[in-house]
Amino acid sequence: MRKKLTVIPERCSGCRVCELVCAISHAGVNNPKKANIRVISLYPHPVIKMPVVCDQCKKPKCRDACPTDAIVVTDGVVTILEDRCISCHACVSACPIGAIFVHEDIETPFKCDMCGGNPKCVAACPKKAILYVPEHTLGQAHRLASALQYANMQEVEYFEHGEKKKLRYAEIETGGTRGDSR
Amino acid sequence: MSINGGYFMKVLHVDLSECKTHVEEVDEEFALKYIGGRGWGARLVWEHLKEDTDPLSPENIIVIAPGPLSGLYLPSSGKTSICSISPTTGIYGDSNIGGMFGVELRQAGFDAMVIKGKAPELSYLWIDDDDIQLKNAEKYAGMGSIETEHQLREDIGDETVKVASIGPAGEKMVKMACITADWGRNAGRTGMGAILGSKNLKAIAIRGTRDLPVADLKRLTRISDKAYKKLSRHNLFEFWQRQGLMSVIDYANTAGIIPTHNFKDTHFEEADKINGDVMELEYKIGDTACFGCPMACGNVNLVKDGKYAGTVIEGPEYETAAMFGSNVGVSDFSAILRANYLCDEYGIDTITAGSLISVMIEAYEKDLVTLEDLDGMALNWGDDESIMEMIRKIAFREGVGDTLAEGAYGVIERWPQLAPIINHVKGLDQSAYDARVAITMALGYATSDIGAHHARAWPVAKELEMGCNWDLNEKADLVIYHQTVRPLFDMLGVCRLPWIELGFDENTYAEFFSAAVGIEFTLEELLKRSNDVYNLTRAINIRLGLTRDDDRPPERVFNDPIKTGPHAGKVLDRDEFREILDIYYQRRGWDMDGIPTDETLKASGLEDAIEYMEPKRKAE
Repeated sequence: MRKKLTVIPERCSGCRVCELVCAISHAGVNNPKKANIRVISLYPHPVIKMPVVCDQCKKPKCRDACPTDAIVVTDGVVTILEDRCISCHACVSACPIGAIFVHEDIETPFKCDMCGGNPKCVAACPKKAILYVPEHTLGQAHRLASALQYANMQEVEYFEHGEKKKLRYAEIETGGTRGDSR
Repeated sequence: MSINGGYFMKVLHVDLSECKTHVEEVDEEFALKYIGGRGWGARLVWEHLKEDTDPLSPENIIVIAPGPLSGLYLPSSGKTSICSISPTTGIYGDSNIGGMFGVELRQAGFDAMVIKGKAPELSYLWIDDDDIQLKNAEKYAGMGSIETEHQLREDIGDETVKVASIGPAGEKMVKMACITADWGRNAGRTGMGAILGSKNLKAIAIRGTRDLPVADLKRLTRISDKAYKKLSRHNLFEFWQRQGLMSVIDYANTAGIIPTHNFKDTHFEEADKINGDVMELEYKIGDTACFGCPMACGNVNLVKDGKYAGTVIEGPEYETAAMFGSNVGVSDFSAILRANYLCDEYGIDTITAGSLISVMIEAYEKDLVTLEDLDGMALNWGDDESIMEMIRKIAFREGVGDTLAEGAYGVIERWPQLAPIINHVKGLDQSAYDARVAITMALGYATSDIGAHHARAWPVAKELEMGCNWDLNEKADLVIYHQTVRPLFDMLGVCRLPWIELGFDENTYAEFFSAAVGIEFTLEELLKRSNDVYNLTRAINIRLGLTRDDDRPPERVFNDPIKTGPHAGKVLDRDEFREILDIYYQRRGWDMDGIPTDETLKASGLEDAIEYMEPKRKAE
């Protein structure tokens, strides 16, 4: 089963512990600017914090952009082969989410390698904002939200142990099409 | 033994008048004797000290000092101390700030930065690793702190640049002006923003890329992996992330120490309208954390409807919620958020502002000031709109706000009749914990080196927990213990909350430090240095004219019994306070006038302070 990293921006506090553990384990130094993951914090317009990390695309644009075939996909991990890389940074510009990084001390661009299947950022995140999940579950959150937002839901109120509660349900044959829910 | 990490051993000196910078290499003795942060700051202030320097003159220096642990992989390593001679109190002042700013200064390759002089025009400092430039900031004149930060990032073209700035209040040298970074983290106390204003320095923007030096990174990682795990398993960990310091409202109200109506009372009937639950359920839209902090005590809040709709702010934490809630009689949480936003944007300290506004409300209630004194605007408990207007007037020094902008001393100078109702020590308004209920808290405020702030000692919880009837000697020792441990965190450049709130073992910090510098230190050795720094700040203050008479808690704690709540009727006894102060001096190794003895100074390695203390001693 192949797994992927995914992030939940709503949970992120912007503490950058993910950057620290990543930099220490990969670059061997205490320097968040050498991490393969970065937290972007925007405020006050808009208010959002989001860890940015490689999606390990199956048809990676970084690979397509590379003039020296230095980027390969091995076991689902997009990898930069340092000996082939000429450090032209074409991959850095090509990545749609900015998940390939550079630093003046390091010769070639660097990116997430998923720690060989045991990502340190996932274990270290104090807010559980970074998840490592089976690939086929990606999009699950949106599917769930979509179901919850369905417009033609009915409600019934009832009492349990003296407490008023509400149950929502979609009644058989009274709904419209899913398209009506938006 | 020599230092192998923890420090770059570099201090950046910026002379704004000459538009020059130079980098000073510090020696090992200095580094390890004063550790960093507030320790380095106090020593640099001492070395530059002249008795007649006006805090708001170009001659005064301001030190921005993260610590040797700032930015390292360990819990809550995002703290920075800002130290100087305070315009609020006229004595040593420091204030610490969280967020990411200090870490970025370290990543630029500096352990600390000293700023002196005055820029010829409103300017900002742009530190891009070792490329340092002073740039024109007229464009940002009068702009709020949060907006300045936003604009500067946009103009520099990098959203990851870290910015510390002052708002209009700092530019106008309002004596409660703060320095704001990372959108609402503040070095709030002792008027550090006014000093930047006096130097024509609107902001400091930093981008640093260097590795932080660590002697034994493997060891640090091993200890820290465990530390993070331990914190995350604490039963209050998730609750802490959800409510942060806002949970203190309920504690303080139940314990009967929450400031209510300018500390007339210590119990607020409507506390359940301004507590952590209200924030969490109705206003919170996100968490924020300082660098490396798993606890994420910062709460981002948004007012979604009503007259303050659209207000978004990181905060409040307990102090702000109490000072602009119960202390001014406000029970509308959205009004507290608005007050917090205005204070952050204008750049003033929420504790001092909340305190002085509550003083004016009480003064008006008791006819101690006239409507004319208030520029014709009535001020009443819970009247949020006039409170917002007062915040603006202070920040822009308009009318009565111009007097309040001078701080407690300024208000007393204009209206001496208000002296008994201003809760301050040495000119710094008291934080949001009452001192009548616990003599240790009164002693802590009275002997704090910067004035009435809880950063140095917060013994109130312990005293209440143990019942108040125990030996005065032990009580004095408790205060000294607090004043030694708590500032150590400010010297190391880390936050003390994991230790206070989640019971994290303070000995671990000696391990962090040992791993970082590559020399073994015990907690006791570090605490000794913290105590030495306390003697140093005392020596600074004595040189600046501080006397025993200044070591007294706010008048109210002796005069006005608490009205309601669990401690109704409680008031402190002057003779008992005199007695505990004697004991405190004796245990500190200070004479009965509060001046450190020669032996004490020698034991702290402060021989060079002895000659300055002699003239201050009274003839036998």
